[in-house]
Amino acid sequence: MVGGFSILLWIGAILCWIAYGIQYSNDKSSSLDSVYLGSVLALVVVLTGIFAYYQEAKSTNIMASFHQMIPQQALVIRDSEKKTVPADQLVVGDIVEIKGGDRIPADIRLLSAQGCKVDNSSLTGESEPQPRSCEFTHDNPLETKNISFFSTTCLEGTATGVVISTGDRTVIGQIASLASGVENSKTPIGLEIEHFVHIVAGVAVSIGVLFFVIAVSMKYRVLDSIVFLIGIIVANVPEGLLATVTVALSLTAKRMAKKNCLVKGLEAVETLGSTSIICSDKTGTLTQNRMTVAHLWFDNQVFVADTSEDHSNQVFDQSSATWASLSKIITLCNRAEFRPGQEGVPVMKKAVVGDASETALLKFSEVILGNVMEIRKRNRKVAEIPFNSTNKFQLSIHETDDPSDKRFLVVMKGAPERVLEKCSTIMVSGQEQPLDRSTAQTFHTAYMELGGLGERVLGFCHLYLPADEFPATYSFDVDAMNFPTSSFCFVGLLSMIDPPRSTVPDAVTKCRSAGIKIIMVTGDHPITAKAIAKSVGIISANSETVEDVAKRLNVAVEQVDKRDAKAAVVTGMELKDMSPAQLDELLANHSEIVFARTSPQQKLIIVEGCQRQDAIVAVTGDGVNDSPALKKADIGIAMGITGSDAAKSAADMVLLDDNFASIVTGVEEGRLIFDNLKKTIAYTLTKNIAELCPFLIYIIAGLPLPIGTITILFIDLGTDIIPSIALAYEKAERDIMNRKPRHKKKDRLVNKPLAVYSYLHIGLMQALGAFVVYFTVYAQQGFRPSALLNLRVEWEKGYVNDLEDSYGQEWTSYQRKYLEWTGYTAFFVGIMVQQIADLIIRKTRRNSIFQQGLFRNKVIWVGIASQVIIALILSCGLGSIVALNFTMLRPQYWFVAVPHAVLIWVYDEVRKLAIRLYPGSWWDKNMYY
Amino acid sequence: MTKQEKKSFNQSLAEWKLFIYNPSNGELLGRTAKSWGLILLFYLVFYGFLAALFSFTMWAMLQTLNDEVPKYRDQIPSPGLMVFPKPVTASDFSFSVSNPESYRGYINDLKKFLKSFVLPFLHGSYLQPLVAIQLIFGNRNDINEVTVECKIDGSPNLKNQDDRDKFLGRVVFKITMRP
Repeated sequence: MVGGFSILLWIGAILCWIAYGIQYSNDKSSSLDSVYLGSVLALVVVLTGIFAYYQEAKSTNIMASFHQMIPQQALVIRDSEKKTVPADQLVVGDIVEIKGGDRIPADIRLLSAQGCKVDNSSLTGESEPQPRSCEFTHDNPLETKNISFFSTTCLEGTATGVVISTGDRTVIGQIASLASGVENSKTPIGLEIEHFVHIVAGVAVSIGVLFFVIAVSMKYRVLDSIVFLIGIIVANVPEGLLATVTVALSLTAKRMAKKNCLVKGLEAVETLGSTSIICSDKTGTLTQNRMTVAHLWFDNQVFVADTSEDHSNQVFDQSSATWASLSKIITLCNRAEFRPGQEGVPVMKKAVVGDASETALLKFSEVILGNVMEIRKRNRKVAEIPFNSTNKFQLSIHETDDPSDKRFLVVMKGAPERVLEKCSTIMVSGQEQPLDRSTAQTFHTAYMELGGLGERVLGFCHLYLPADEFPATYSFDVDAMNFPTSSFCFVGLLSMIDPPRSTVPDAVTKCRSAGIKIIMVTGDHPITAKAIAKSVGIISANSETVEDVAKRLNVAVEQVDKRDAKAAVVTGMELKDMSPAQLDELLANHSEIVFARTSPQQKLIIVEGCQRQDAIVAVTGDGVNDSPALKKADIGIAMGITGSDAAKSAADMVLLDDNFASIVTGVEEGRLIFDNLKKTIAYTLTKNIAELCPFLIYIIAGLPLPIGTITILFIDLGTDIIPSIALAYEKAERDIMNRKPRHKKKDRLVNKPLAVYSYLHIGLMQALGAFVVYFTVYAQQGFRPSALLNLRVEWEKGYVNDLEDSYGQEWTSYQRKYLEWTGYTAFFVGIMVQQIADLIIRKTRRNSIFQQGLFRNKVIWVGIASQVIIALILSCGLGSIVALNFTMLRPQYWFVAVPHAVLIWVYDEVRKLAIRLYPGSWWDKNMYY
Repeated sequence: MTKQEKKSFNQSLAEWKLFIYNPSNGELLGRTAKSWGLILLFYLVFYGFLAALFSFTMWAMLQTLNDEVPKYRDQIPSPGLMVFPKPVTASDFSFSVSNPESYRGYINDLKKFLKSFVLPFLHGSYLQPLVAIQLIFGNRNDINEVTVECKIDGSPNLKNQDDRDKFLGRVVFKITMRP
């Protein structure tokens, strides 16, 4: 309720009251008009303020309900009793107990742990479960195994620990305070609106002061001059506009929420549209966040598996006997199982007990072979060695499902080089062949190739134990290893990756064509990061990094001209050694950049670097560690599903489906609303001139006042409101996703052509049209235009009750007053009729209305109907309320301005035609807003 | 960042100077001479057209008017009354018999009015009825106050009771005469 227009209106209101005070002290019977006007102005300010607050609060409420947190409880041992207390009542020294599924209530040092694993992803971004024990393993608290952190989750096992820090002193708390230390800067649209308010306020104040001076020097009384000043201010300030902008933004916010982009602050709606750089996470945002089988290698051949979300299209050759063996190993040598009670759930969506790779293999085999559990039942498991980090393999021994085959089948999977060591033969087309040097070479080539794709590779082998040595009753002992663990037959390789979401490559292409640079920032390994970047198009197919160029030219990396390489993969280590200037150079010279192995602080540095390039930066993130960067970004985007509360509260926007593609729709909506706000503002500004000119003419030429201040408010806050909101529903004119993002400092919301065209072209035409209606009314009632000149003083004298018109008719003071109000109404109707034309022409800025379709946006017609109906009600229904200064008009006066309205439309069509015909011409530069 | 954006006074002064006249490309107020010429020409033509259009519309509108009779008489169906000479305040005549200066203005006005009194006809049949009122006060030594109300009556079309218009078909004035 302060700042910008509100200040101007407050000034207007106060001037009104001062004017009344002076009037009252001179003449006790002076009319209360200026008191009313002052109160109305104050009311307008208060109401628009309340309205804006209400809208903002409404959208904030959505967020509040979205992450209502259940108060966290902790199981604590106090007074040798186990008690459940709210986590915020923990103190340092408390002993707490934790079990699988709990959130850690404070930073704790473990005293004992049984199979405890924690998910530190919210803190470090690593999605692998971390084992926790009570041994001290590292000086760095983040690395050592005997500390678990507040707000991370215990996945399995139990632990007891002593609280070492709570609240803001926890590691999370420190990151949160880092986040709150980052200043909240103004949103781009906020800046634009400020800029626009400055322009309009500047125009209002300078015209107001100019005419105040003119009025005073024309020997008007100072009091009258003040009244003029108020009129000029009211005419110039678009009272309804800020409320309209708020509504338009909240409409878009709703539309975006439907498309899974939940916006927290209304102004952030547009920020996404002007975004020029997106710093995106990899895991979960670009990828599906689950390991999936991507490639297979058997029979000396690489096969590609379908990695789309449903795995439905597995087209690789499954006829080979080698595949039969391989699929058996994949199925059997696997401890992962589906959780019970999920019949009817699609395979890919079923919940699984087991680690990421095993889950991937289980689902892969379930999709291809059908009921894996049934196969495992038929091949009863008799013994197994689970995977561990020293062995780097997993082995199990099964009976076969062939009743005539009494042999045991030993299946093994593991790190390819370890598995190969244990093999003496290799299976090709179902036949075992000796593993010689050349086959080992092909194996290595394939292994390197798959590894180079950033994929996690596993080797598979098997061995049939001779039935005579190992009869059905043989007792296998996995500790004594009383069975062979060498001379296996190597069957094949499988590689897994967290594959990109299938919608992402398309979304990346769209961003590219929309001129948005996408930078991947991940904690993951550079090779994997680069592979994913390549597969989603962040690094396009034909672009190379400096290393690629060096490899191709066979020269050292240092000799390569950096400008030859479009792409760059930079690790956190390299970033650490870079000066800000070097980072700027990197960001400016490479269009495709991947940052790998980065820390949260580095993410912040990257965002700042991008902002130094005058870019509007969007950052996606989910972890607590991302929150400083989310906050620093012009628009922080948190993930709705995997995102932590800290990330969500630091972000400006939440992606409900964690899908990068949703950002693209967000960009589209943001750009559309920017265009439409331009139209809304242009529409609203236009009639300011038509409202202003009467005052200027009144002061200079002394005509009876053509339009009253209250009447102006009825246009600004009455007839114009719904139409200007209707423009927010306008569809895009051209493919808005094919143009560059707007430049923060060059492409303003309100630019010079917009102001000039609205004020000096259409606005002036409107003023002329409205004056025609005004003069018509006066002339037909007896006052010809020539008689009106300099009539003001006599006209306004209350005691002159015999003022003669051009026909010698004498008018009493009240009759004149009533004619003046009729003039107000006529002028009002004149503006309203031409605002209909203005509304129609504002539907497009470049295209013809007929290209855009006159009837596609139905809301426009609702707006037009509302204009006419409100005007009719004011003129006919409320004509009897004196304070409103409206009267009934003769029906024909409603149509006097219609030719001018048509002229406005025709003129604008000509303007648009010339813009389309001569792009880049003088006309285009001066007339396109 | 904001600190860098805040320009020093000298810098902004220099920018303004550059905006007013930029010697490197001959730009005056952000436009070259040719550009100014074009834009002025455009506005000359555009506003010339608008002015011509406005004049034509007004001319066409005036052609629809009758010289003798106004097209509509929506606001003045019924005549109003006016008292002459015009009182200084709203409707109070106040003068002192012993002080000729206090009523000299009224007398002058009346004289002037009656000399210049020619019915200001614009057309033949329109009449402005004039009624003279003479008040005779009995005692010249007291303060005399008289409120006079004149009404026109006789036709149901003549209005004289309008709440808002105190001069429609009636006129009320007060005469205060002091010794």
